[in-house]
Amino acid sequence: MMIAAMAWSTVCTAGPPEAAHKHPGASRSREPMTDKRPTLEQPKSQYQPLPRVDTLLTGATLLDGVGGRADDVDVLMRNGVIVAVGRHLQRDGVSVIDARGRWVTPGIIDIHTHYGTYLLPQTAAESTVSDVLENSDPNVADTWIENAVRPTDPAFSRALAGGVTTLQILPGSSALFGGRSVIVKPVPAVTVDQMRFPDAPQGLKMACGANPADSFGGRGRFPNSRQGEIAGVRAAFIEAQRYQDEWDEYLQGHEHKPPHRNLKMDTLVRVLKGEMPVHLHCYRADDISTWMATLAEFGVHIAAVHHATEGYKIAGRLAQGQVCAAVWPDWWGFKREAEDGIPENAAFIDAAGGCAILHSDIPLLGSLLNIEAAKAAAAGRRAGLSIPPERAIRWITSNPAHALSLDSKIGRIAEGMNADIVLWSGDPFSVYSAADLVFIDGAIAFDRHHARTSDFELGRPQKQANP
Amino acid sequence: MKPLCLALLSITLGAHAETVAIVGADAWTNAADAPVKNATIVVADGRIASVGAGAPAPPGARVVQAAGKIVTPGLDAAATQIGLVELASAADTDDRAISSGILGAAFDVSLGVDANSLTIQQARAAGVARALVFPGAAGNGIFAGQGARLYLAGRSNIVSQARVALFVTAGGGAAHAAGGSRAAVWGLLRNALEEARQARTGLSPFKPRDQVQNHLELEALKAVLERHVPLAVFANREADIRQAIAIAQDFNVSMVIVGGAEAWRAADGLAAHHVAVIVDPLDELPVNFDSIGARRDNAALLARAGVTFSFLVSGQGIYLSYDVGPALREGAGIAVANGLSYADALRAITQSAGRIWGEPASSKYAMLVPGAPADLVLWDGDPLEPSSAPALVMLGGKEISLQTRQTLLRDRYRPARAPPAPAAR
Repeated sequence: MMIAAMAWSTVCTAGPPEAAHKHPGASRSREPMTDKRPTLEQPKSQYQPLPRVDTLLTGATLLDGVGGRADDVDVLMRNGVIVAVGRHLQRDGVSVIDARGRWVTPGIIDIHTHYGTYLLPQTAAESTVSDVLENSDPNVADTWIENAVRPTDPAFSRALAGGVTTLQILPGSSALFGGRSVIVKPVPAVTVDQMRFPDAPQGLKMACGANPADSFGGRGRFPNSRQGEIAGVRAAFIEAQRYQDEWDEYLQGHEHKPPHRNLKMDTLVRVLKGEMPVHLHCYRADDISTWMATLAEFGVHIAAVHHATEGYKIAGRLAQGQVCAAVWPDWWGFKREAEDGIPENAAFIDAAGGCAILHSDIPLLGSLLNIEAAKAAAAGRRAGLSIPPERAIRWITSNPAHALSLDSKIGRIAEGMNADIVLWSGDPFSVYSAADLVFIDGAIAFDRHHARTSDFELGRPQKQANP
Repeated sequence: MKPLCLALLSITLGAHAETVAIVGADAWTNAADAPVKNATIVVADGRIASVGAGAPAPPGARVVQAAGKIVTPGLDAAATQIGLVELASAADTDDRAISSGILGAAFDVSLGVDANSLTIQQARAAGVARALVFPGAAGNGIFAGQGARLYLAGRSNIVSQARVALFVTAGGGAAHAAGGSRAAVWGLLRNALEEARQARTGLSPFKPRDQVQNHLELEALKAVLERHVPLAVFANREADIRQAIAIAQDFNVSMVIVGGAEAWRAADGLAAHHVAVIVDPLDELPVNFDSIGARRDNAALLARAGVTFSFLVSGQGIYLSYDVGPALREGAGIAVANGLSYADALRAITQSAGRIWGEPASSKYAMLVPGAPADLVLWDGDPLEPSSAPALVMLGGKEISLQTRQTLLRDRYRPARAPPAPAAR
């Protein structure tokens, strides 16, 4: 019954927003010199906010996402932005929602999904060929996961129902360099561009440990060991450095002929320049440490290490290196490199001053991230740490926003932030609570009593009331 | 030295006969739909001696203060694979299923149970008193094999009953092993039961070489036909569930559906023919084409229709072996959040599994009533909240250590200092 999902990992990095919005290949020729850089630009977002009215939530218990809590608070959203947070706010000309007895948090951010590529329902066909990863080569840095995303995947709507307002779709974990990620909002859409988070940077997924070695070694190919993986990573970045040098020579006019374009190297050069955050799939503390050191040889910083079941063993090193760790609260044992997973993992990483994140990886958990955080926080409390709700909520809001380089826009309820807000029926860390309303950019994207059906589920007799 | 040794010995002996009084608890006894408030639960000689509201602790009893805390019977996980696998990625530590060979229906998974497995250690400390372990889908036929019941009070021997159900894999995922179509599952199953029926008469018209089932499998099927054990069918699609119900009728066998994502759509037939269902309360996504009708009020709808049900929580396979206790409680909590009554949800994870897998209805199994085996858990919060955990676990009247390999890792790497305030960004 175990499926390949357990083997997934993601490596993503989010860098600063990209300025250019040219179509792929547009910078190729007859452009000013400065536009001849070896890079493809990601398409511009076609996202449009859903219909919205200015809205005031009144009398809520507020967790602001960065460690603050306030009771009996109003939150005012205007034109998709949070414009005021406080007591007894002016309510003229706005839609008022009585939130007394209910809780308000920032929209949940899921840093690790495979939605739209691990397409539900899964069929036997996907067991051999899947869009989760192009796994024909250990370096598929030239692949962009957004090219495969199908927005009708019901996982998007379930995540939204669970309070998720931003999520990253990552390639799978069988390649050392798995390709570029995309960050989207789980809104109704026909194309991924309509979901794309405006100006959010792509990340690069990388993967350490068992998966690449098993996948390629199992086919008699390179790499088939951990040490081989490190050698492969070094070789790729050395090549990328040379490629970058060749382009610099050309751009500076020392060479007249441009270097031959290499799309894998284009991606790695962006990583070398710090423009594309790295998201590393890795479980073991020793592996994480080795990969941090190896990437540091090239000046590459890891935005987040994903799964990191042994993150707690090197919590101080993660904090010092400013590497976030995206983890589950309780998965362990399902594979050798996960044998030392403990439920206190996130809490111990947090206690060391690190950036702890709860992630889903599988669609089931994508609608339960509040409960995942509840479990992780409770384990920490039993271990003697003080983790009130306002602290734990950071693990699924501001911390992932930081790792995605989006913390100036989302992950926090404060003036000027995007109005991505969840109105919970009660304490968001209780199993009995549900997201009543989910706002994305100030618009009601989900209403528990009027939920929208995904295209896939539309008209299916199995969904209809008992005959 | 001698007096000291004697003293230790007497303490050890005393521990066996220790009387314990848990005082001030809300006791969910499974004898009623509401808890006994401020209950004093007295445990002696491995059994519940009494449960009384506000009753005094007996003289000499060790008193456990439990004011305002909830006590329930130990958890009973209706469908798990604990003790059958250590590392799911390593075949030599994974004994959940067969993929070749002649055993088929005769595959007895109890023979592979490892009482020293970390999955058992963790489940026990998580308050799991009993569990059913099932064989996974075989690669070479419709029969997965025979499941076993575990009672975790033991140390080396935890199999309380082997061969308690014969598991059949139906649905789209089983089509390949059945020859290419799910329809073949039902044809093969009907034939197998027919062969077993003929074999019992001793007047079988089949010559051995014509039979699909070998003598080992016929023995396993005989127990089904004689209603000693149920046929347990993995099925999610409504149409498959109804095929299973039809077989239960035609062959007069006891039937249990495992999975049952669309069971709510077949609730009428399930109730009418006394077919029990073990559902996953976390199911709501169409993970495959057999589960398009999955929804989180499945259990609530089944309860309303009078169907006997219990829970498994798969977590895409992981929670069948790892974190079984908390996952089961999370599933029950989600079921309550989606309309099931609290008392029904607690029953589903403490008592229903035993009823489904053959504990006699007359026994006091999984109840907090005088004379019942003292298998109970004192929780540090609401047991249906996943953030809660056991504060005390008692199996067979003995307090169980809550220490596991995971708690030892926790203690080894526990942070030395208090957490700093969240950094401002």
